Amino acid sequence: MTREQRLATVGFSGPTAVAVREKLGQGLVLAALGGFRGLAANALMLQAHGAWEEKQWVRVRSALEMATLLQPRVALFWDLASWHMAWNAAVAAERYDGEESETRRRIEARKWVEAGRELLERGTRAVPEKALLFQRLGDLYWQRLADYQAAAACYREALLKKDAPLYLERFVGYALDRAGEKQAALEYFRELRRSMGESPDPARKPEVVEREIRRLENEIRDTSAGRTK
Amino acid sequence: MRESWRRIRAVAGNTFLEAVRQKVFAVLLIFALVLLGGANYFAEFSFQEQFKFLKDLGYATISLTGLLVGLLGAAQLIPAEIERRTILTALCRPLRRWEFVVGKYLGLVSLLGVMLGIMGAVFWVVLRWKEAQLIGMEGGEAGVVQAIQAESRDPRLWQAFALIAAKLFVVCSLAVFFSTLATSTTFVVAMTLMIYLIGHLQSVAREQWLESGEKTVWFIQLFLSAVALLVPDFNLYSLIDEIVAGNLVPWRATLEVVAYSCAYVGVLLAAAAWLFEGRDL
Repeated sequence: MTREQRLATVGFSGPTAVAVREKLGQGLVLAALGGFRGLAANALMLQAHGAWEEKQWVRVRSALEMATLLQPRVALFWDLASWHMAWNAAVAAERYDGEESETRRRIEARKWVEAGRELLERGTRAVPEKALLFQRLGDLYWQRLADYQAAAACYREALLKKDAPLYLERFVGYALDRAGEKQAALEYFRELRRSMGESPDPARKPEVVEREIRRLENEIRDTSAGRTK
Repeated sequence: MRESWRRIRAVAGNTFLEAVRQKVFAVLLIFALVLLGGANYFAEFSFQEQFKFLKDLGYATISLTGLLVGLLGAAQLIPAEIERRTILTALCRPLRRWEFVVGKYLGLVSLLGVMLGIMGAVFWVVLRWKEAQLIGMEGGEAGVVQAIQAESRDPRLWQAFALIAAKLFVVCSLAVFFSTLATSTTFVVAMTLMIYLIGHLQSVAREQWLESGEKTVWFIQLFLSAVALLVPDFNLYSLIDEIVAGNLVPWRATLEVVAYSCAYVGVLLAAAAWLFEGRDL
């Protein structure tokens, strides 16, 4: 891990050893020093799992943040931590019976979603070569923040990685469509279909892309016809 | 040269047999095998998480057992021979002192190699067992089976294994180096463990110190350079974490670390032989 990656991951510029000591117990520091970081991080993950079952969201967050601090190059930890924050904790906050004000519940939920987003942002900087965290960030923007433009940008970034799943290439178009940018979505799908060539790989689902092109063409035509009337 | 090699082989074979007869190593091996076999739980997680747990626990078990074998074995090599006076009967024969040191190291490394082989084989069986278990649980969908097999049959596991072996061989050479200086096993164990811990910390500490923006005076830089030169950088072996995380680690990087380890082993054995040459027995 380079110094830049460590800075991006940990998010502080002070001496690593001091920051780790501040955040972790003595036993964990020893484990980190002894080259048994993986075991310590797994123990924290188990701790987070237990806390999740008890709906102790702050404990879930601190345990998983420590796990990401110990093993920042493990995409799995960032993914899991952000899922707990932006989905589980946020939904629990939205449905919390102890708070009558819906506004306050929403504000609280939003804080958890933001915590999940921040974790994924850091994760993408720590493991920039993998598609997974960019894809998850796109999902978060789409499903939790309804920011479809940002989601499309994340999916585009994910597609630049070697391990990006094939289905993800259609998601950029879907996100642009949801963002209200029908024309941009149409152009994207057309370009995508062109890139598949004359005899496309069936795994890339050319029929789905063609269907999206037809649908968007119809929608754009209807909209412009409505405006003319 | 051929004669020298024959004598080294005789010392190494003797050391290996002597170590094999000691119960402590058999107990350590059994402990490691039980731990490796028992690593196959955590069924409530996704298969990626389960494999991560399994691999982390497997590598940690192999590393820890290897570390203990290396430490205890090396700590008893020369101090115990001196204490029992058996070293005198060995050295009164046509055997050079450096041959004795190298032979002892190779004997210990052979023991470690055999133990690593056994633990590696058991770990491989556990991985395959997990694979069969998960395929049975997750169903026979081709994509899932492929993903599970990619985790359990990952060829990068060989890289991790090579890195663990290289790290343990360096620890052994450190312990052999201290055993040529020491008269007690406690000293050897304590010093080797201390260097092991410093070796894990030193590169991070040095990097942060030099890049903290504070003006560093020449003698601090000299001190840091001396520490960097004298203490092996054990953080280099954290490539194992990258492999377990499923990240790409080129063989070139692994071979560079192995070459670094070989260089350290060579220097440490040469220093140990030189010190032992001048030692009054």
